Amino acid sequence: MKIGLEVHVSLPTKSKLFCSCSAKASEPNSAVCPICMGFPGAKPMLNEEALRFAVGIANALHCKINDRVSFVRKVYFYPDLPKSYQITQLYEPIGINGFVECCDGKRIGIRRIQLEEDAAKIIRGDDYTLLDFNRSGIPLVEIVTEPDIKSEDELRSFLTELTSILYYIGIDIEGELKTDLNISLADARVEVKNITGIRNLIDAARYEIQRQEKLIKSGAKVAQETRSYIEAKKETVGTREKETEEEYGFIPEPDLTSYDTTHMQRIKPIYASKIADEYAKAYNVDKKLIAELILFDKHALELIDATKDKHEMKHILNGIGLIKKYRKGEMKLEAFEKLLELIKEGGYIDEEILSKIEKGEKISTESLNIDLIKKEVRQLLTPSIKLDYRKNPKAINFIIGKITAKYKISPREVAEIVKKEISD
Amino acid sequence: MNSIKEFVSIEKGSDYYQKLLEELVRLNERLHAFSNINFSINSGFPFSAKDNLCVKGVETTASSKILDGYIPPYNATVVERLLNNEFSFIGKTNMDEFGFGSFGINAQEIARNPFDERYVAGGSSSGAAVATSILKYHVAIAESTGGSIATPASFCGVVGFTPTYSAISRYGLIDYSNSMDKIGIMARTAKDIKPVFDLIRGPDGYDSTTSDSSITSINKKKLIVIDQLLDLVDQRIRELFEKMLDKLNAKGYSIEHRSIDIIDASIASYYIIAMAEASTNLARYTGFKYGFKIEDFDKDYNEFFTEARAVFGEEAKRRILLGTFVRSANVKDKYYFKALKVRDMLSSRLEKILEEGFIILPVMPIPAPKIEDAKKLTPLQVYKMDALTIPPNLCGLPHIAFPYAYDNGLPLGAEVITSKFNDYAIIDFVEEWEEDFEYKFKYNIGEVK
Repeated sequence: MKIGLEVHVSLPTKSKLFCSCSAKASEPNSAVCPICMGFPGAKPMLNEEALRFAVGIANALHCKINDRVSFVRKVYFYPDLPKSYQITQLYEPIGINGFVECCDGKRIGIRRIQLEEDAAKIIRGDDYTLLDFNRSGIPLVEIVTEPDIKSEDELRSFLTELTSILYYIGIDIEGELKTDLNISLADARVEVKNITGIRNLIDAARYEIQRQEKLIKSGAKVAQETRSYIEAKKETVGTREKETEEEYGFIPEPDLTSYDTTHMQRIKPIYASKIADEYAKAYNVDKKLIAELILFDKHALELIDATKDKHEMKHILNGIGLIKKYRKGEMKLEAFEKLLELIKEGGYIDEEILSKIEKGEKISTESLNIDLIKKEVRQLLTPSIKLDYRKNPKAINFIIGKITAKYKISPREVAEIVKKEISD
Repeated sequence: MNSIKEFVSIEKGSDYYQKLLEELVRLNERLHAFSNINFSINSGFPFSAKDNLCVKGVETTASSKILDGYIPPYNATVVERLLNNEFSFIGKTNMDEFGFGSFGINAQEIARNPFDERYVAGGSSSGAAVATSILKYHVAIAESTGGSIATPASFCGVVGFTPTYSAISRYGLIDYSNSMDKIGIMARTAKDIKPVFDLIRGPDGYDSTTSDSSITSINKKKLIVIDQLLDLVDQRIRELFEKMLDKLNAKGYSIEHRSIDIIDASIASYYIIAMAEASTNLARYTGFKYGFKIEDFDKDYNEFFTEARAVFGEEAKRRILLGTFVRSANVKDKYYFKALKVRDMLSSRLEKILEEGFIILPVMPIPAPKIEDAKKLTPLQVYKMDALTIPPNLCGLPHIAFPYAYDNGLPLGAEVITSKFNDYAIIDFVEEWEEDFEYKFKYNIGEVK
């Protein structure tokens, strides 16, 4: 089995690739100008920020980066393409010959990485079609892999690794990836075009694998063709596109010059899965547990890295788990260290306590000794109160009152402990 | 004194612009210099813009039906710079559709030669040359890809300056061949060129190809004739041209002759590159966003585009087809990439010669033909007429056309070519020529007596 991908990633730049229109507008056709509308006489100007992002991706995917990069016109007619050509790359793309390490050390080859402009968005109604040119000219990076992926598991692993690398470059794709999937179990190459999202991509691949397997088992031939993915049915269907080499008549884009990439900083990329691996080995914890926490969470990784005593890795992970559970924002290292102390002492921790820790309020460890509180609750919780509680939830109020009077703990927290004791 | 300074100093009546417009409209009905006249002009030194330059709020069609009714929402950089500097827009000048032509006959209305209306004005900046020839105080902003300034300037007896490629921003110029399109200036004398050039040239944040190189004026007092090109010229023109060379020789210029091994390939190289780029530039005209529009949206998009694109003129269609062919995958190496190689080779040959001095040549191998005769020429015959203007245009070299003789009542023009960014030198050269050569004009609209 051979699977290769062409992944399109939208770059989170402030403005579009060739004009100063905002790349983040929401109201349809509100961020447009003569350049991204392809008006006669308008000329493109390259957005340096987009070029830096693209070079960063190529660098992180171990590509050979071209010192000078240039653009071409790819000519084809479609209503969403305002100039009837897309400015993309061919002869001197951003990078070539890279790889992504995933699937337990296996390398998936990256054939090329190129920077190009997106087309307008087509919105189809029953008897009309609308075009939103806000998307026209948004910078895209196309990542073309070698057909090195050999199974659905490898596909998943590759996508997780790739998106994690992108996340650490500052591109949080949130599932909004557009991919062309090339997949062949026999000789014929089947291309499934324009799949949106990671989940759909995996579903499409699974469907194609099963479909082609069935055909091969039954002795039928798999046709070389272009298919498209129907999300509602979770299946792929053949398009009637002709299977000839497409003729785009590429020529160098004469309105742009070539661009030097040598002055662009090559920042050492962060491979979070590799770090998870190292920590797992060094501190004897489950790799998956760390990976889950840090692959798409820069802050979590920062906290782990910054914590001095890493031998308490289990506690650190526990603490990060609590932060992730109770709050979306970040936590200062100082507060995190306090949190770790509490965890070590086995203290009870919830959202309120977390915010107390952050505010720097003093929390006596005694008052929070959860085992002590639990023990006391158990003593107070007579069978008759348990029975009363079935009829009247307020029956436990006197326990809550007693505990909160003695310990610095909120009524709600006590109520939870009591309820847990009752249901146990 | 240049006419811009002169214009400021002369006493003009309060109805100056109104009278000027009345006269201009009358004459324009016969000569078709302007495709659009700005009737609200009432101050400033008039400039016209070739109809492939975007002027905000003014219909801009590049003489093409496919852009009928297109009103740009922005000004071309050159237009913006002139409007910010006491220049006033007087109108859009006529041209061959998208700049595709050497005689101005691929237009909706054919511009006529002011010296004799039976004759062509030259193209593709036909209207710009006619406007310059009939208006006393005016400069024309024109554009040349393969000779579109020098040719009409030469046929209409005006000075036509094409700068170094990249010296003037192309933002707002409706593209023909982006790697060769050059905005330039036509005026009645070379003296009017430099002040306008200085205003409109220089880097622009809207055109990545603009250069910030400084402009020089290096004159080595040597004029070089390329023999293979002079051999293409009519006998009569050759005689008059050689007479001019004698005159220049007497003024202290040495005259030398050279030949260039690959000069014969320049026409093919030029047309292959120009058509390849043009075919991509014209792809955007599909009849539904601007200009000519089809309202029937029931069609499949391919049918819709095909129907809209049927309104291109014949020469535009020819260039789209040939241009699409030469960049198709199976012949691209043979045509398109070879043409680029020829351009590089020719550029280095020319630059080497130009280190010694200027190149000087007649602009066209023939005098202005009659309109009806020009129409009879085959496309290939027309393309071959550009043999003398193509080398500097293909290689992005600055050149200037100027009148040097009148024969049969029609002006003849010569061109002087120099190295990149030595633009001032050839403007200065023509200023020197003008000192004892009197240019003739048949009309002087706007003259104050």
